[in-house]
Amino acid sequence: MKVGIVGVGFMGATHASGWADTPAKIVGFTAETEQEARALATQHHAKVYPDLNSMLPDVDVVDICSPTYLHHEMILEAAAAGKHIICEKPLARTTQQAREAVEACKEAGVQLLVAHVVRFFAEYALAQSAIANGQIGKPAVLRLHRGSYRPKKPAGNWFLDEAKSGGILMDLMIHDYDYARWVAGDVETVSARRVTESHPDAPVDYGLVILGHKSGAISHIAGSWAYPPPTFITRFEIAGDRGLIEFDSDGTAPIHNLILKTGGGDTPDVGLPASPVSESPYTTQIKEFYAALADGKPTRVHATDGLASVQIAEAAIQSAQSGQPVHLQPLMEV
Amino acid sequence: MKIGILSFAHHHAEAYISNLRRMDNVELLGVADHGTTRGEALAKQHEARYFPSYETLLEAKPDGVIICTENNRHRALVEMVASRGVHVLCEKPMATTHSDAKAIVDVCHRAGVILMTAFPMRFSAPLMEIKKRLDNGDFGDVYCFNATNQGELPTKHRAWFVDPELAGGGAIMDHTVHLVDIMRWFIGFEVETMYARSNKILYADEVQVETGALEMLTFTNNMFATIDASWCRPQYWPTWGGLTFEMVTERGAVFADAFRQNISVYSHDAQRANWSYWGSDMNHAMVSEFTAAIRENREPRVTGVDGLRAVEAALAAYESTRTGKTVQVQRA
Repeated sequence: MKVGIVGVGFMGATHASGWADTPAKIVGFTAETEQEARALATQHHAKVYPDLNSMLPDVDVVDICSPTYLHHEMILEAAAAGKHIICEKPLARTTQQAREAVEACKEAGVQLLVAHVVRFFAEYALAQSAIANGQIGKPAVLRLHRGSYRPKKPAGNWFLDEAKSGGILMDLMIHDYDYARWVAGDVETVSARRVTESHPDAPVDYGLVILGHKSGAISHIAGSWAYPPPTFITRFEIAGDRGLIEFDSDGTAPIHNLILKTGGGDTPDVGLPASPVSESPYTTQIKEFYAALADGKPTRVHATDGLASVQIAEAAIQSAQSGQPVHLQPLMEV
Repeated sequence: MKIGILSFAHHHAEAYISNLRRMDNVELLGVADHGTTRGEALAKQHEARYFPSYETLLEAKPDGVIICTENNRHRALVEMVASRGVHVLCEKPMATTHSDAKAIVDVCHRAGVILMTAFPMRFSAPLMEIKKRLDNGDFGDVYCFNATNQGELPTKHRAWFVDPELAGGGAIMDHTVHLVDIMRWFIGFEVETMYARSNKILYADEVQVETGALEMLTFTNNMFATIDASWCRPQYWPTWGGLTFEMVTERGAVFADAFRQNISVYSHDAQRANWSYWGSDMNHAMVSEFTAAIRENREPRVTGVDGLRAVEAALAAYESTRTGKTVQVQRA
């Protein structure tokens, strides 16, 4: 299996490490400029392509790790060329784009695997399986929290460009919309607020979202870009009619570093969880995607999950603007 | 100064007995309960004088009373008490309807008696510390709160807490008011809009009222907040529940866990973890403030209007669960 990776930021590099642990061969990378792709290509003994179009003839799988607003056109291009696709979350910037992407892949007969990596984090996977096994009964109230600092990029910070990333309600909080759906099923109402809506000049951002599920369960999703670097915390709490599950990344951190600082250390571009495990969840994810593409094995996340979470994110943005809850239209079978 | 307790319907009455006993220059006059064997038994257990009716206690001329009846019975009692010129500390929520809450505030105002709402969180040492630093400007502008007031199903204390008539609702009525009051106290603005969604998945076969509830509110200064009011703590959780919030400001965020000052106890007897609270007794500070306000003839730190405003927010949450919309909070 020959893989081409689009985008060489944090996610491009991380996916490449995952692919390196599979029998697949990374053929090449493409990025906005050839210059920025060179280091990663050298590391993985791969080529640098000027663009996706020139890479397509050489690959079986395209792994899209570009900024969100570019996903749609890249998926359509790769699908038209008959290539299987792995796409970073969010699947697309809008519901309409996500729907077109799913439909295009279906028509082209190619797989579209959306990298909702939270489903591959051991703590989240364990809680989901405990709930699926009935350990806490029927989920009633979910609380999901994800907090860090505003993403940093040297130049052209697309994360902070609402039109390109969807902002905190999409880029950060989509992880937990997807997880809430995985645990408690489809969502019918979305009510949201965020700091940069009420205070456009705020130096931090923070989103609060209430989801109503078809099952009757309700979910509270909080996303923070308000903490000092290098904070990255996640928490969840799921109350069911036969029990409760709690998780706190801080409270379960196996290592606490109280070493004196000797130099002026820098913080990474994006805050990351740091509870060491034997295999990175990003690698677990790529391995599962490889097995799906190579051997037709099942995956825990499907293209329609990617679409559904984009729909929730878009509704959250709309609700934060209007102040009223948004009732989701049922997604057509695609 | 003589203070009486009216009704054992709310289990806090028992805590107030011991609070009053530990105060200088305050006499626990006794406890009245209406026509139940509960009152006499509990009074005996706490070695407090028992009055067989509210009237007989009032005839013993208390300076103030603490009203601990069921939520929907506060109004009638406040009217009786105020008409005799006796000061009132009323359990929360102040009432189950807007008109009752308004009437309670009005009757006390007309009678010239002190009306204080039992919001003990205003006397929580950790929360007072945050409020002090907030007023000092240490945190800058406040943008939002992500708050929880979760508990176990309260029926282990009293069955009426889940009675739609007596309690005025379920988790929303029980748990909205504390956080609304804390936020109003912290920032000094009123709740403007409310959205809420509730369910009854927890204890579905045991109760008629909502047991899970999430609320989204905005304030007149553009601040917003969520409140999780759910009764989602299992009976075997290490403690009864708690009250937490994250306050997001222009300088970052502050996490508060008001009841976190515990030791963890694992005993052969309990066969599970128990958190034993060692933090300061906020009920004691609250009742002290009530008696101090009477003594100094001044407004207490928490007023009747504070109780009314919190009820208005809770009622708006119910309206939102019915309409499915974000609703304006009606202020009297």
